[in-house]
Amino acid sequence: MTKEQVNHIQETRRILKQFSRKRGNLIPILQEVQGKLGYLPREAMLVIAGFLGIPAIDVYGVVTFYNQFRLNPPGKHSIRVCLGTACHMKGGYIALDAWKRRLDIDSGETTPDREFDLDTVACVGCCTMAPVTVVDDKPQAQVEPTKVDGILLSFELEKEKASKENL
Amino acid sequence: MKTVSLTIDGKEIRAKEGEKVLWVALDNGIYIPNLCVIREALQSPAACRLCFVEVEGKDKPVTACTEPVIEGMVVNTQGPQALRLARTAFELLMASHPVECAHCLSRDSCELLKIAPHLKVRLKIKRLRGLPRGLPIDSSSPLFIYDPNKCVLCGRCVWVCRERLGIGDISFAHRGFQRVVATFGDEPMARARCSACDECVTVCPSGALCFKDGKGPKEELNRPVEKSKS
Amino acid sequence: MKVDELSTITAAFQGIKERAESRWQKLWHSGQPVILVGTATCGRAAGSLEVLQTLRDEVKKQSLECQVIEVGCMGYCYTEPIVIISKPGYPSIAYGHVNPVIAERLIKEFILGDNPCLEFVIGALEKNEFVPSFSEFPRAEYEQKIILKNCGYIDPEQIDHFIASGGYEALVKVLGMPPEEIIDEVKKSELRGRGGAGFPTGEKWEICRHSRGRPKYVICNGDEGDPGAFMDRTILESDPHSVLEGMVIAAYAVGARYGYIYVRAEYPLAVYRVQVALRQARELKLLGKNILGSNFSFDIELFQGSGAFVCGEETSLITSIEGNPGIPHHRPPYPAVSGLYGKPTLINNVKTLTYIRHIIENGAKWFAAIGTEGSKGTAVFALAGKVVNTGLTEVPMGTTLRQVIFDVGSGIPGGKCFKAVQIGGPSGGCLPESALYLPIDFDSLSKAGAMMGSGGIVVLDEDDCMVEMAHYFLEFTQWESCGQCTFCRLGTKQMLEALGEITKGKGKIEDIDMLAELAEDIKAGSLCGLGKTAPNSVLSTLRYFRDEYEAHVKEGRCPALMCQELIAYYILPKKCERSCDACVGTCTVEAISPNKDRIKVIDKEKCVKCNTCLVACPLQYNAIVKFSPPDQVPASR
Ligand SMILES: Cc1cc2nc3c(=O)[nH]c(=O)nc-3n(C[C@H](O)[C@H](O)[C@H](O)COP(=O)(O)O)c2cc1C
Ligand code: SF4
Ligand code: SF4
Ligand code: FES
Repeated sequence: MTKEQVNHIQETRRILKQFSRKRGNLIPILQEVQGKLGYLPREAMLVIAGFLGIPAIDVYGVVTFYNQFRLNPPGKHSIRVCLGTACHMKGGYIALDAWKRRLDIDSGETTPDREFDLDTVACVGCCTMAPVTVVDDKPQAQVEPTKVDGILLSFELEKEKASKENL
Repeated sequence: MKTVSLTIDGKEIRAKEGEKVLWVALDNGIYIPNLCVIREALQSPAACRLCFVEVEGKDKPVTACTEPVIEGMVVNTQGPQALRLARTAFELLMASHPVECAHCLSRDSCELLKIAPHLKVRLKIKRLRGLPRGLPIDSSSPLFIYDPNKCVLCGRCVWVCRERLGIGDISFAHRGFQRVVATFGDEPMARARCSACDECVTVCPSGALCFKDGKGPKEELNRPVEKSKS
Repeated sequence: MKVDELSTITAAFQGIKERAESRWQKLWHSGQPVILVGTATCGRAAGSLEVLQTLRDEVKKQSLECQVIEVGCMGYCYTEPIVIISKPGYPSIAYGHVNPVIAERLIKEFILGDNPCLEFVIGALEKNEFVPSFSEFPRAEYEQKIILKNCGYIDPEQIDHFIASGGYEALVKVLGMPPEEIIDEVKKSELRGRGGAGFPTGEKWEICRHSRGRPKYVICNGDEGDPGAFMDRTILESDPHSVLEGMVIAAYAVGARYGYIYVRAEYPLAVYRVQVALRQARELKLLGKNILGSNFSFDIELFQGSGAFVCGEETSLITSIEGNPGIPHHRPPYPAVSGLYGKPTLINNVKTLTYIRHIIENGAKWFAAIGTEGSKGTAVFALAGKVVNTGLTEVPMGTTLRQVIFDVGSGIPGGKCFKAVQIGGPSGGCLPESALYLPIDFDSLSKAGAMMGSGGIVVLDEDDCMVEMAHYFLEFTQWESCGQCTFCRLGTKQMLEALGEITKGKGKIEDIDMLAELAEDIKAGSLCGLGKTAPNSVLSTLRYFRDEYEAHVKEGRCPALMCQELIAYYILPKKCERSCDACVGTCTVEAISPNKDRIKVIDKEKCVKCNTCLVACPLQYNAIVKFSPPDQVPASR
């Protein structure tokens, strides 16, 4: 077992201490564990199944059913394109296309360098700023294709700056 | 338990009150297509939507596996509305089921091949698009093959593995069009906790789970029950 | 209930109420200015937290005696961030589009000085001589706020604000009433569930009350999965105690011991504010064991939904609380008879429960006097799309769509023409102009082929393609289908494939009939409401806009110039200005270059149809156009 896996198991066990062994706690447990680890690694799911005394597939069934849960570690930056009704009508899908083109991944995927994570969300509640893209939990207004390039450029610059400072 | 009298397709029948129309019909020699329901299970998931029948006094067809019988009920399994729904449901299943019966190891026991003529539906569906699921075939087990593309999601294998054998190694995972019977982590059967008891294979109606040699026993889960004389 | 128990309750509440009122008085009548900042999600997205910080910093820097408090959303989302300043000697004034710079000015010029900065004003809360008040706005004539009344005016994280504005009085009142009488009152009010289907609330309560099985549960359905609606979230964020009070009353009426409030985890602020509200209500014994000293005990737990639209369906929501994938099951049994853990469970929508305290306080007669024959009370809508005033509104049932869109919403922006209105979210449908005179209520909408649903209203103008719109909603429901039953899992996928091909100009004429037939079968054959309503968007657009489908199929033309595969961008050489190259640099794929005459030309092969150039071309030239079908574009020389 890798060190990371051991760590995941320990963290999961720590979280489980707050819960009773009730099946109804499965979803709250998964939410807590993902909140801590960023995703739901295999070993964590097995620990949870053991704790609740349910088949491992039941945990897997729940994790793969809900949009919220992820099976893979998230990228460093999360890009979430709003496809709520208002954003869709103001060209949210065009923005999504632009992100896909620039990051060269599909929605729901992470770039190979694990820098970006592209996904869609339904209505983040700021329809007047449509089309919105939520970049690292901050809604950005009027994200049209040119703005996509701008946002990516600013990440690029940040990274360059950071690597220079590290020299 | 109170008994009631009802008619199904004109046939007068006495049955236990509250029993589901589907069982009453099957036990009286009237076939209604069904895939997802299991007699021994407490409740029908009512998921396959093949068992539609018409009931006098109801404006829409109902699923026979969930409809309790009541005194004086008049059931018609051949009503045009019910048949239309059952046919469409079956066509939808077939449109995303690889139809390769000639080479299919399960063709002798296949329930889909029994339902098609009953509903008078052709196996190749013209008016719909083929919707293949493109999932990998799992032949990791020494005994059987699991081809999820052929699965109709009836849930019989899941039920047998969990309720009858108490193992619970396979179940439904993912959502919507991606819904599939899977093991933990979508792993090949041989790597999962599966003990290769092959009970699930014996109940699969569709050829998704089939013995590698094409033989092996098949169990009819919902076979008609002998009528006890009242 | 015994007389002495009743007096304990009244006495206990009296103490709470007095304390709350004195705090409220102190806030508003201490001669100091009060600043309210709207920090619901919509406000935050627009930057209200920065504004809040600036205001707090300024107040501190200038050592002002002035309270800055957070409130929820008033429903004027189009003008967020909103700040309301109430300064003695002035009416309370609301400012819109406030940013940190404006915030600083408001402090310096209005709080410190005497300039109310009229240039940023949206309106005043009370009538006065200076500034027009909200009640004088044209939309006020149509709006009637019952459940949105507190939203944006009280601090949702302070139970005192709620109590001082009359909160929890209905609870005290019902604790002295026999449960049957409460149910009777709710029945007489003719309140119908606001979760979409419009089931009579009192009847549901009665069924649950008479169901055997203990303990009973009350669940508040705050799943709100419609991608364009946010009224439940707004209420939970702006006035959570209203919902809790409704739940406690419902629990008392049906005899429930435990409750759940189901809120999506994607609504972190609503989750947080509900948690705060639960804690505060428990502290004051308005929740928990022996509420206000009575024999009645009821406690509520918050459950965070994990993001599946189908979990809004009641049986699915219940399975999800039990720790399973949200797979609906066949009804009957209905939850009111056999729900959570097989026990009788009352499940109501956020809005439904919010009405309860008002009905108890003002009486069933008052409520039943609002609205139409079959639909009483008000309706809350989230206005979005091509409409000037996006945001929330509450109008009496029976208000026409025209009034909501043109009077409350101020019509279509940019001088465009109204085309259709999509109402009811993914379960609803698109209605054409002729439906504008339709009085909105549960029955009229279903008759027209739409649905009250979640209450989302999306206004569409001439630039919106109806086929594309149907595709958008169907794509949503298809993706969110639980996948259990055949019709919904495979049928919606079939429809989506066909629609997708139509929007790409690859559809066949038979597809249109196939869509209609399949839609009917999916409606009749699906197990739960998701499948039963998913085809509505297609059916309603086919009913009213069949010609658009036919244009796509027969001519490969998208009349609204929206479907990407059926359009081409073209620069009119006659209009293109030689000296301008605004579009050239903005094109994200470098598809535009000048020809030898310095007229700009789009390389069709490279163009990804992102619309950037069309926006960039200066208005006075307006040289870029879209063509459909794409082969209409003149060959470039
Ligand atoms: C697919 C689907 C989604 C639903 N989503 C919601 C929802 O988000 N909120 C809600 O209150 N009801 C929703 N409902 C309706 C609920 O099933 C249920 O009828 C409602 O919560 C009952 O409350 P009411 O009687 O107060 O309307 C949904 C129904 C379906 C079929
Ligand atoms: S594998 Fe066979 S038994 Fe199992 S769900 Fe699929 S069709 Fe049914
Ligand atoms: S209609 Fe759709 S969401 Fe509802 S049970 Fe069937 S598959 Fe699931
Ligand atoms: S047998 Fe009735 S729906 Fe499957």
